[in-house]
Amino acid sequence: MGIRFNQVSYEYPSFAEGLYSAIRNINLEITEKNEFIALVGHTGSGKSTLAKHMNALIFPTSGSLEIYGNIITAKRNRKVKYNSIRKKVGLVFQFPEYQLFEETVEKDIMFGPMNFKITQEEAKKKAKEALNLVGLDDSYLSRNPYNLSGGEKKRVSIAGILAMDPDILILDEPTSGLDPAGRRVLMNLFQDINKKTGKTIVIITHDMDLVYQYFNRVLVLNDGNLIFDGEPEKLFRSEDLIKYHLDYPNTIKVLSHLNKELHLNLNIYQKTLEEALEEIKRGGLL
Amino acid sequence: MSYIEIRDLDFSYNGKKKVLESINLQVEKGEWIACLGHNGSGKSTLAKALVGLLEPELGEIEIDGLLLTEETAYEIRKKIGIVFQNPDNQFVGVTVRDDIAFGMENLCVPREEMIEKIDFYAKKVNMLDFLDKEPTNLSGGQKQQVAIAGILAMQSEIIIFDEATSMLDPFSREELIKYIRTLHKEGLTIIMITHDINEALLADKILVLNKGKIEAFEETEKIMKKREVFVESRLELPIALDLANALESNGNATKIRKKLWEYALTK
Repeated sequence: MGIRFNQVSYEYPSFAEGLYSAIRNINLEITEKNEFIALVGHTGSGKSTLAKHMNALIFPTSGSLEIYGNIITAKRNRKVKYNSIRKKVGLVFQFPEYQLFEETVEKDIMFGPMNFKITQEEAKKKAKEALNLVGLDDSYLSRNPYNLSGGEKKRVSIAGILAMDPDILILDEPTSGLDPAGRRVLMNLFQDINKKTGKTIVIITHDMDLVYQYFNRVLVLNDGNLIFDGEPEKLFRSEDLIKYHLDYPNTIKVLSHLNKELHLNLNIYQKTLEEALEEIKRGGLL
Repeated sequence: MSYIEIRDLDFSYNGKKKVLESINLQVEKGEWIACLGHNGSGKSTLAKALVGLLEPELGEIEIDGLLLTEETAYEIRKKIGIVFQNPDNQFVGVTVRDDIAFGMENLCVPREEMIEKIDFYAKKVNMLDFLDKEPTNLSGGQKQQVAIAGILAMQSEIIIFDEATSMLDPFSREELIKYIRTLHKEGLTIIMITHDINEALLADKILVLNKGKIEAFEETEKIMKKREVFVESRLELPIALDLANALESNGNATKIRKKLWEYALTK
């Protein structure tokens, strides 16, 4: 179960280029449990288009998708329960904090679950649980979302999706616009949710340091083609990254600089500052 | 008298909690200042106050000898342009050409001159081939380039980049940074608000805001030696400097430290 892409392509008409191919012949499988996946690629590589397919917000123009047993093709199928797909797969857009609209945090988080025919009481309970899951206490329930800080707004908007209790959670650049400390807090939170609940989480990001430190699977899109699906380290061992307009993690860049300048033989594949430091101490003859 | 002078500036949005407090700052003409600070530290508020979009509670702002008041705000805005974080939120024109023209139209630049300037500045930002395109068909980086062309066409002398690179991929980001360097070389005064420490290192000076106050404002190389400033303000140093700071100063470690410093500060 989960999501399976079968030769999926998506094209749309564009004034500038005639027919524009956003993603091409994508084959991909995402299981519904315990996955923690990064999706990377330069601007316009098709990341958001790919993500929108995952909960059937858009349909492939060719190929097919299987989402929890439902077959999605170019043609809208009456037998497919799109509503249930969207309950299973939650999608958080970029800058979700701009989409908050209710007068209290509680109402805002309840909005999603209420669309799935549950009672007010149940929705309230789910709102509270989701809020706690994103690390905010009950005192936030009665607050006005507009008076929260950027980081808090982001959390509330993510809670809004979590309250629908999706199996799979997809987030489009959730850490952009946050300071480094806020970025780590949010990433730790996602990792925590993944470990505690077993929900599969897919995160679109440009930050290769985060990709290296947090994820065990990374998908790379380039001009609409899925060109890599595997462990981050394997990706960073490839020389092609620059060709795809992607960057290497900072630890790797700094350590290879030292190797080059001082003719050292450090193992450059270190994920964290601490690991890099140990490696310098070991290989730098200190 | 400095080119930009901020004296005893206080600001709050609701009259209660101060977002900016006792800000005193001097920027010289042609300087490239990077502004760092945690979310909510007052960076964007400071930028908005500088162009007169927000009125300070207390204190004064003087730009190129002109005191910022309601009467002079129009004059001062001609001197300063802002490029915002989200390139989609700052487009007003239907085509790239319209967009570059917008600022000049407001300044009543004669038509002939305007046409000339649009071509000139579009070429400068490598967007000459895109003049008749719709902004929606451009990449994020290209949209930022167009915004810059519009500002340059107004003959602004100061450009504020308010996290202008944060929504761009690494490639477009590098392109934009390259372009900011060119503007700096040409003598424009640049204030760059950012969360990216590696970007900030390119500037002449770094301003660190912490909870609405200036934590430090110094030459880039000097401030990078003050780890405590970064810790105090909840900011991160570049990893190369964190590594350098964690190493002892003896034998091989000294050599490695030196290389790490060079790496971090190479522009």
